[in-house]
Amino acid sequence: MLKILVVCGAGLGSSFACQMSVESVLQDIGVKADLDHSDISSAAGTRADIIISGKNFESQFQRYDLPMDLIFLERLVDKKEIEEKLVPVLKAKGAL
Amino acid sequence: MKEIYFTEENVAFNVEATDWEDAIYKGVALLKKNGCVNEHYAAEVVNNVNEYGPYIVLSPGIAIPHTRPENGALKVGLSLITLKTPVLFKDTQEPVKVMISFSATDSEKHLNIIKIIVKIVEKGLIDQISQINSLSDLNHLIKEEQP
Repeated sequence: MLKILVVCGAGLGSSFACQMSVESVLQDIGVKADLDHSDISSAAGTRADIIISGKNFESQFQRYDLPMDLIFLERLVDKKEIEEKLVPVLKAKGAL
Repeated sequence: MKEIYFTEENVAFNVEATDWEDAIYKGVALLKKNGCVNEHYAAEVVNNVNEYGPYIVLSPGIAIPHTRPENGALKVGLSLITLKTPVLFKDTQEPVKVMISFSATDSEKHLNIIKIIVKIVEKGLIDQISQINSLSDLNHLIKEEQP
């Protein structure tokens, strides 16, 4: 199953909140995925197909040079922004 | 924690804070008073924000100060403060008016705290909360959002 990891600084608050909004978007568009949240230091070593994080982490992620799709959000719990950015990635992966 | 309650013990309205750091200390002070975190927690939150950027600013107007369990969390808990003068975090556009600080002991047990935070943001209640002056008004406003 498609695995989506949501990442923030501590891996407890913003990422967990964002995960809920992502879950709700996935439900709306009818896509099943395995979701989890973590902090940025453990994110690089975690297997995932898509990583979703805040805009403020973009430069830190670029340093890791990760193979998976990365999505950066201005607003972590904005379902409209999540859908706009997630749908093209899901389509490219054939999940939608 | 099955239910989330805002009480006289974990809520303060119109708190005066000089800047975002001071605001974090004021919000976390309520967690500390209630035995949820130790004396290092607030400084650890500030350090994390300095290191990772304003990840605790969840949506315009609201910040959720927190850090890893090993940085001084003793039990799951939360506090809510509204700021008399909103504070601006670096690299953000809109000042923060409401702060919900919390402590977590692992990555799951504080689920209900996150649920209520998400509902407050998704329902657009931040402005209303920032103008509230009484606990009963606060609990009335979020009553339907209780997980």
